[in-house]
Amino acid sequence: MNNREEEVKKIIADITEVPVEKLTPDADFFKDLGIDSLKAIEIVAAFEKKYRIIIPEKDIPNIRTLKQITEYTKHLKKD
Amino acid sequence: MKWDKEKIKSILPHREPFLFIDEVIDIDGTEKVVAVKNIKENESFFEGHFPGKSIMPGVLIIEAMAQTSIILYYVCKPEIAKTHPNYYLGKVKAEFLSPVLPGEKLILETINVKIIDEAGVVDAIARVGDRIVAKANFVLGIKKSD
Repeated sequence: MNNREEEVKKIIADITEVPVEKLTPDADFFKDLGIDSLKAIEIVAAFEKKYRIIIPEKDIPNIRTLKQITEYTKHLKKD
Repeated sequence: MKWDKEKIKSILPHREPFLFIDEVIDIDGTEKVVAVKNIKENESFFEGHFPGKSIMPGVLIIEAMAQTSIILYYVCKPEIAKTHPNYYLGKVKAEFLSPVLPGEKLILETINVKIIDEAGVVDAIARVGDRIVAKANFVLGIKKSD
């Protein structure tokens, strides 16, 4: 597992209190991990701050797994 | 841009004695809203908090900042706010630094961290003059009215 994925996992675990071992790459945040929209926006805000990026509102519903959000943070340009 | 109480009441569902902002004194695009609550000598909460030693309860400073956050939501999402959705607090992290006393002007500054249709993250500072009395971070939920 690479450093970015570890960082991402730690941010999500800290906010959601989901145990790290449950944060598998393809676990669906909403269906499998019980993350609601309020936790989701906290995660989005934390990622924007950490990586100095802007995650457009339209993209948020499509970022549903650890793998997707890790890839997303790698490809977004800094603001 | 300034808002009086009538304009505030057109957006906020709160009413006296649970309306904790008197006017909006600054709106900076969709980034920041600043509101004011004038703390009167005869505020009802001073009767019990505390007899003979009036101090504004910290939870009501939180409430005033949260109500200002709703105005911030309105400037970001006016079309949704005009439908009068239900607003609720999801999470609050707060720090209280100084008491708020009768006769003081409480200034409430809210900063947009991230606001989307159904939720928001807002940083807030409450101050009296230059004295910061509280800091908070809110996660707000917004749901359409039934």
